[in-house]
Amino acid sequence: MKGGLLHVLFKVADTDYAVRASDVLHMESYNGATKVPGTQSHVTGLMQIRQRVVPIIDLRTRFGLPAEARTIDSRVVVVQWSGRVVGLLVDSAREVMELGGDAFSAPPDVITQRAHGFVAALAQAGTRLVMLIDLGKIIGEEALNGE
Amino acid sequence: MTELDRDEFTAGYLIEADEHVRSAIANLLTLEQALRSGSPQHRHIRELFRSLHTLKGLSAMVGVDPIVDIAHEMETILRDAERGSTKLTVEAVEVLLEGIRAIELRTSAFAQKQAIPVAPTHLLEALAALQTSQGSARTLATSAGADKDSLVLDAQLLAKLSPPELEQLMASIAAGKHAWRIDFHPSPERSAAGFTISTVRERLSEIGEIVKVLPLSVPRDANAPGGLVFALLVLSEAPPAQLASASGTDASKLTPIALSRAAVSSDASERGSYESDPDDLVQGNRGVIRVELSRLDDALDKLAALVVTRFKLANCVNELRDRGVDVRELTTIAGEVHRQLRDLRRAITRSRMVSVGELLERVPLIVRAMSRSTGKQVRLSVDAGKAELDKAVAERVFPAIVHLVRNAVDHAIETPEERVRLGKAPEGTITVTCFEHSDAQLELRISDDGRGIDAAAISRRAGREVPTDERGILELITMPGLSTLDVATSTSGRGMGMDIVRRIAVDMLGGDLTLQTTPGRGTTFTMRLPLSISILDSFSFVCGTQAFAVPVAIVDEIIDLTLEHVVVPPAPVARARAGHTRQLAARLLKRRGEVIPLFELASLLQLEAADPARCKAFIVRSHGQPFAFSIDRVLGQQEIVVRPIEDPLVRVRGVAGTTDLGDGRPTLVLDLVGLSSVASAGAMA
Repeated sequence: MKGGLLHVLFKVADTDYAVRASDVLHMESYNGATKVPGTQSHVTGLMQIRQRVVPIIDLRTRFGLPAEARTIDSRVVVVQWSGRVVGLLVDSAREVMELGGDAFSAPPDVITQRAHGFVAALAQAGTRLVMLIDLGKIIGEEALNGE
Repeated sequence: MTELDRDEFTAGYLIEADEHVRSAIANLLTLEQALRSGSPQHRHIRELFRSLHTLKGLSAMVGVDPIVDIAHEMETILRDAERGSTKLTVEAVEVLLEGIRAIELRTSAFAQKQAIPVAPTHLLEALAALQTSQGSARTLATSAGADKDSLVLDAQLLAKLSPPELEQLMASIAAGKHAWRIDFHPSPERSAAGFTISTVRERLSEIGEIVKVLPLSVPRDANAPGGLVFALLVLSEAPPAQLASASGTDASKLTPIALSRAAVSSDASERGSYESDPDDLVQGNRGVIRVELSRLDDALDKLAALVVTRFKLANCVNELRDRGVDVRELTTIAGEVHRQLRDLRRAITRSRMVSVGELLERVPLIVRAMSRSTGKQVRLSVDAGKAELDKAVAERVFPAIVHLVRNAVDHAIETPEERVRLGKAPEGTITVTCFEHSDAQLELRISDDGRGIDAAAISRRAGREVPTDERGILELITMPGLSTLDVATSTSGRGMGMDIVRRIAVDMLGGDLTLQTTPGRGTTFTMRLPLSISILDSFSFVCGTQAFAVPVAIVDEIIDLTLEHVVVPPAPVARARAGHTRQLAARLLKRRGEVIPLFELASLLQLEAADPARCKAFIVRSHGQPFAFSIDRVLGQQEIVVRPIEDPLVRVRGVAGTTDLGDGRPTLVLDLVGLSSVASAGAMA
């Protein structure tokens, strides 16, 4: 595909998702996070990743799916969004793929509703259907210095 | 002198001696370079002379004779050199440096109230061997009085002035300026009125130029209870009354210093060199005081208490408002207090900043010693500009800088022969630069033009894959334990203790460390450091299965719950929230006639509680009210660096920040005062 953008592909509950590679800082294996009491249930805690203390969002919980035991495939996709750095805990993340603008289409209403707006677009990647996530919706659009 | 006076005097001596030692080292190093390059040396010799002369005088006053002996010999050499009867050599500088080290050793022994070792004979002999004129000590001062210009001044003082000081006074007076001798007698009353030698110095240097401060022993009397007087020789155009009030004395204590008749027509050509040297007129450290860090920390502690008081005030205002009272004016005042506190905090924080240039002062000495021991030729260039750093950060980062510089000389810079073979200059260059990267960060770079890092060789020895990028190389060389591998061969480039450098820059200070390296061309390490860090004395403890930290300052007491009288009230307060019941203040603690609510910290934090029989508790006061928080066990007490929690996802009441207790995982630093209000409100934020 020509003129496409690099995307990082990851899996949550056997579904493929994509995030723009330019938003991804790096990927880490998951070896537990420090729980912070009083946070929302999808925040699993804090991890120290490459000299930074990063909050981790469990995408299973965020997507309303039952929590499952982490495996050795579990990954933290560290993303940068609007000045914030957040880790996304996913079941696995192995691929980087070029996806062109023409590969994307607006998600059908049923998906939009079921996914609480977390899915920004759908893309055909080979034979698979990939959902491009909306980072702002997922990590919450709180202002960085908002009280 | 009373004990207090003596301590103050001793402290003053040590500060001044330290300044002169530092300046002597700096001047010796520049002198050495000047000797090698053949550039003018006169000014450095003169400044060295001045430092040693002062060191000698001061040390004689406090009775540290070994320093007097060493300084005297060194002074003689420099006097000879200044008069041109001796030509200094690089070897002589070496001996003089040894002399300074010997002096430093003795001032620190004096500081620690240890026995002061006598001056080493071999050193005194080596110094004496460099002198051309034995016993020339007093000739210059007296000859100046006898056959050339002179000052109308007490002979005792005249004898203590160095030739450059005499010269400065005479030249200034001849040029029509006013010179004064002002005597300051330290006493407890004057000190209480704010007049100590330091404040007098400071005030006088605002309205004039202090040429010399000479401490003199005088018979004790009512005016000089310490048996001590400081004669300050000052050049100033200020009226005598102003000088007198600046020094806490009256105008009658001022003596004008005049030239004796013959001197007015003194040899102008001899003065020329001083007048053409503007640096001479700039006296260092004007208006600067040194403060023990603990005093500033104390001020910050007091400020922290004030911040707590402010919160209390804000709470009272809220309560009043809730009761329907008009609190507009109070709110405005509370807001003002808040702003003023913030400004005060900034001001104190700023006063803790030290100059990076000063921090790096010792680096040239290290490089010099290393280049001698390795036989490598190294030129060091330091550019710290006006960068400043919190004292606490500076103290912690210095060992890392030393590590990097040592490594650069030891492993990166090639031998002169090898460099020539490679087509490089025989002399290697190490550059240390430092500038403020942003309001909150400082960038410190240590570069060399050596061989670069041979990542392949290191990986081979470490049994790792060869890294593909510089980040990978950094991870490789900062692997703990790599240093032991590297001792065997030093051809790899680097590795000695790099894990320590990373630990300091990243884990201790919360900064970051990167590197750029080009094989054959050199390596640059870049550290980004916070300008200041909040370092807290903290208790670390376990609650549930998780470790936490709390500031020591807020904990009133740690008690053993098994020994305490814990009461379970007949009607425990239980609230059902979100499907689970939380026991809030379910228990009470009777202690010294007070009844204290006891919170299960574990249940407040939604953690599994430990066996209550083994519990300890922290007692914390919030708004004057005591609260107890039960915990499992205390791990220890340690200084931690607190990183604020910035992301809104994890910003909650009761958590002040995170820290690394050394396991590479974030540990939460709790705000128990905040938690107590959450607990009493019965809900988590």
